[in-house]
Amino acid sequence: MATAAASAVLLAATACGGSSSSGSGTSSAPAVSGSATSGTITWWASPITTSGSDPRTVLIKKFEKAYPKIHVNLQSAPTDTDTNRSSLITTISGGATSPDVYMGDVIWPGQFGKAGLAAPLSKYLPKSYFSQFAPGLAQGATYNGQVYGAPFFEDEGFLYYRKDLLAKEHMKVPTTWQQLESEASTLTKKKDAKYGYVWEGDSYEGLTCDFMEYLGSAGGTVLNSGMNGSTLNSAAGKKALSFMQSLITSGASPKAVTTMQEPQAMSAFASGQSAFLRNWDYGYSYANTASSPSKVVGKVGVAPLPGFAGGTSPGTSTIGGWNLYINPHSKHVAADLTFIKWMTGATAEKTLATQFSEIPTLQSVRTSSGVVSSNPVLAAAAKTRLIPRPAGTPQYAKVSQAIYTNVNSALTGSAQPGPALSSASSAINSAVSSSGSGL
Amino acid sequence: MRHSSRRGWRRAVNGVNVAALLVFLFIALPLYWMISAAFKTPEGVGASPPQYFPHHLSTKNFSIAFSQFTFGQYIVNSVIVAVSATVLILVFGTLAGYALGRTPMRGRLAVLMSLLMISVFPEIAVVVPLYALLRDIGWLNSYQALIIPYTAFFMPFAIWILRNYFLGIPREMEESARIDGASPLRTIWSVILPQAWPGLFTAGIFTFTACWTEFLMALSFNIVNGYRTIPVGVALFGAQFVVPYGTIFAASVVAVVPIAVLVLIFRRSVVSGLTAGSVKG
Amino acid sequence: MASSSHDAFRRRQARLGWALSAPALTVIAAVTIFPICYAIAMSVSNVSATGSGFSLNGLTGNNYSIMFNAPQWRYALFFTVLYTVVTVAIEVALGTAIALVLERLTWARGWMMALMLIPWSMITVINAQLWGYIYNPTYGVLDDIFSRLGLGAPVILGTKVPAIMALMGADVWKTTPFVVIIVLAGLVMIPRDYYEAAAVDGAGGWTIFWKITFPQLRPTIALAVLFRVLQAFGLFDLPFVLTNGGPGDSTQSLAILAYNAMFRDLDFGPGAAVATSTALLVVIGCLVFLKVFRAQAGTEES
Repeated sequence: MATAAASAVLLAATACGGSSSSGSGTSSAPAVSGSATSGTITWWASPITTSGSDPRTVLIKKFEKAYPKIHVNLQSAPTDTDTNRSSLITTISGGATSPDVYMGDVIWPGQFGKAGLAAPLSKYLPKSYFSQFAPGLAQGATYNGQVYGAPFFEDEGFLYYRKDLLAKEHMKVPTTWQQLESEASTLTKKKDAKYGYVWEGDSYEGLTCDFMEYLGSAGGTVLNSGMNGSTLNSAAGKKALSFMQSLITSGASPKAVTTMQEPQAMSAFASGQSAFLRNWDYGYSYANTASSPSKVVGKVGVAPLPGFAGGTSPGTSTIGGWNLYINPHSKHVAADLTFIKWMTGATAEKTLATQFSEIPTLQSVRTSSGVVSSNPVLAAAAKTRLIPRPAGTPQYAKVSQAIYTNVNSALTGSAQPGPALSSASSAINSAVSSSGSGL
Repeated sequence: MRHSSRRGWRRAVNGVNVAALLVFLFIALPLYWMISAAFKTPEGVGASPPQYFPHHLSTKNFSIAFSQFTFGQYIVNSVIVAVSATVLILVFGTLAGYALGRTPMRGRLAVLMSLLMISVFPEIAVVVPLYALLRDIGWLNSYQALIIPYTAFFMPFAIWILRNYFLGIPREMEESARIDGASPLRTIWSVILPQAWPGLFTAGIFTFTACWTEFLMALSFNIVNGYRTIPVGVALFGAQFVVPYGTIFAASVVAVVPIAVLVLIFRRSVVSGLTAGSVKG
Repeated sequence: MASSSHDAFRRRQARLGWALSAPALTVIAAVTIFPICYAIAMSVSNVSATGSGFSLNGLTGNNYSIMFNAPQWRYALFFTVLYTVVTVAIEVALGTAIALVLERLTWARGWMMALMLIPWSMITVINAQLWGYIYNPTYGVLDDIFSRLGLGAPVILGTKVPAIMALMGADVWKTTPFVVIIVLAGLVMIPRDYYEAAAVDGAGGWTIFWKITFPQLRPTIALAVLFRVLQAFGLFDLPFVLTNGGPGDSTQSLAILAYNAMFRDLDFGPGAAVATSTALLVVIGCLVFLKVFRAQAGTEES
């Protein structure tokens, strides 16, 4: 009896509570154009690097110098992307006005745009703002005709190799997957390295990224142009998956790649156990910095990923990286826009590139000679062919899960490429066709 | 002399001691692996073959945990939240456990079943509505945002534990106290509690560790750094593609300290409580 | 006269019971009823997630039919039940055995107890990271031990059966200590004279355990089983960190499935259906267990 009464009271409290959460700002101009204003905004961002100075605080300091009336409060987000996302989903769908701006994955726009978890930036910012970015980046942040994310820094897959081992065996940097496979097998047979080639084969988002690269090089796609049906179960799909499987069966890659995510692959390479590595932008500085736990400092080269023999070279690299989004409940949209414009502007992008070797999103900064020459990764990035994940559909998470669980099954040998692809294909179809009801 | 020392040796190598040694190794070896990794250099952590004994001892992992992250603050927050919730649960839970175990209250079974229902309901399903509730009463980013939900969600099982132990206490003493005219609260305090130490300890440990390790609510309800707890703090270590095992394990080693202090404080009552009635041989 | 005063006493006692439990029940009800009812409501509604909360539009059985028709749900149910049965059986048997050992241990008992508390109080995510570090195929200690023993270097987390066993191993390590503590607390409460009587009768250790210790421990073991079933059925952190449900989806538990549906796919309706049905299944499982356990106890005692 007492319990029922008590809960009724609370239910009533919830019902009439409205949004009473405290904003931390002082004031905000009603006009939302992105021009200078004043106030305090909260920026939710996960750590970008692990050692040295924190790029987040470096950039905030520079921004506050440029806009002394705006104060930015950094809230550090969980480093695990899924954990980060679930925290944001709870917070924003719960109606919180803080954080105002958040750094989020490039694959979120479809889902977040549809669910109203991000504000459409293209309502506030002109087309000319979005056209400054490298081709495809703003397009990748678009859902239903609106751009939801401002490209903050980009990332993509690279091939890292051991210069010393290739020189010892008189090998060239591979430009085709087949060449990579044979060189990797030879290096392990000659005991130059324990493993030939390590990459991300665990059952998670990273495997989708890796798979997309083989698929793209083979000329395949995941979804049709209407984004409502799977095109995965194709000759190109089979070529991609069979090749990935053969990497393991031929001994070029160890069986252990089926449990590797970026950290495990990176550490196998940095500890000198592997001759080749597929990883993101951070791999170069990680392997080549004496302060990190690397045994291969100075012996590491970087190149665009190979393509298939007879196809285009270089192969395709999956687009990764982070966008800046605005919380639709933010009470400081004008200040948020000012902040976002500055963070994606030339000063910030140049700082990210030259000081922290992140890949800039602004086309002008990306191709400027000062940036390209500052770092071999940025030089390699200028030559890659980029391929996006099919994140334009709000059901991307399910599409990706269908890919990585089935590809992982094929890699561990519990499924053949054909059945694995058709199983992935039917899961994708049921996800994108019926507006995604299903588990 | 020789004879007796051999007998001493035999006495040490009896079944109980050998079994205890195996238990010790079972528990301690993974812990050793964690602690030694905490003291390894980054190269040592990722070394292959693994270093069974760290080649270079380093305290860098600890300094990173405390300098790059406000780990000290996270510990303080965790202690405040876990201790408060545990105290609330033990006080309220003891009264309720006594009532459910010892009084003929009507609807007892329904209450017990409801409590069971609540303690099995998956946390992930309640986090979102609970967030909205806390937002509406303005409790987000505060200690009570965790203390009260923890109290409510972990108390049902604590009540089950306590009731279970109260059931095992002989009724005679309680009745004689009542005949002497002691009030119900006084009876609980001076008759039931002294006998229920093991139960209180079990419920307390259950509650404390449940609060100490809870992640999802702590992550969602308190996003301001000043109110974050240890599990959330550890989730901020590293960067997107870097799992700093050394730093995480160093933090974990430090996080054991408050537990150890608690055990030391309660050692006398707990250990004696848990072993007083034991049967030798 | 006598019986009416007895009735009055019982009524007073019953009122006292409610009075004593009121503070606890009020707090529990105030905090838990709304979110749980809301989650149940989500499971039977068309839920659309919007930036300003959820809108529940109309009753539907759709979420449950989606769930029942999903092969993932059936597998997750199978996996979770298998995992629960195996780990609970191992942990309760092992925990009871360890408690009996500790009870007999004449020295270092306090230190052993303290040691036991460390795995149990370890933050679950860190426990998962520790085992991830141990099971790592390139620099993990377990593979090194295997290869030193000439057993090759298995990819533990990348193969279905070993991955499931690896999760169970990590679970047994972390939670057996709590079973030990519960059982030890129960052992201590067994009156000594029971044993003394048995010793006079000349019963052996094994007989004493099954005739005296075990029946007396029944409620305690029931509690330990109950507690472990609740926890094992909610299995989340270990697969979330160690395998992410893989290889394939062979370690996807019901909680991971519900989490993915809600927080990865934003399918709150089906996710809530998985969560609600999980809770229902556990309660039914617990009730059946308690009934069987009690019934058996009853026949033996009478």
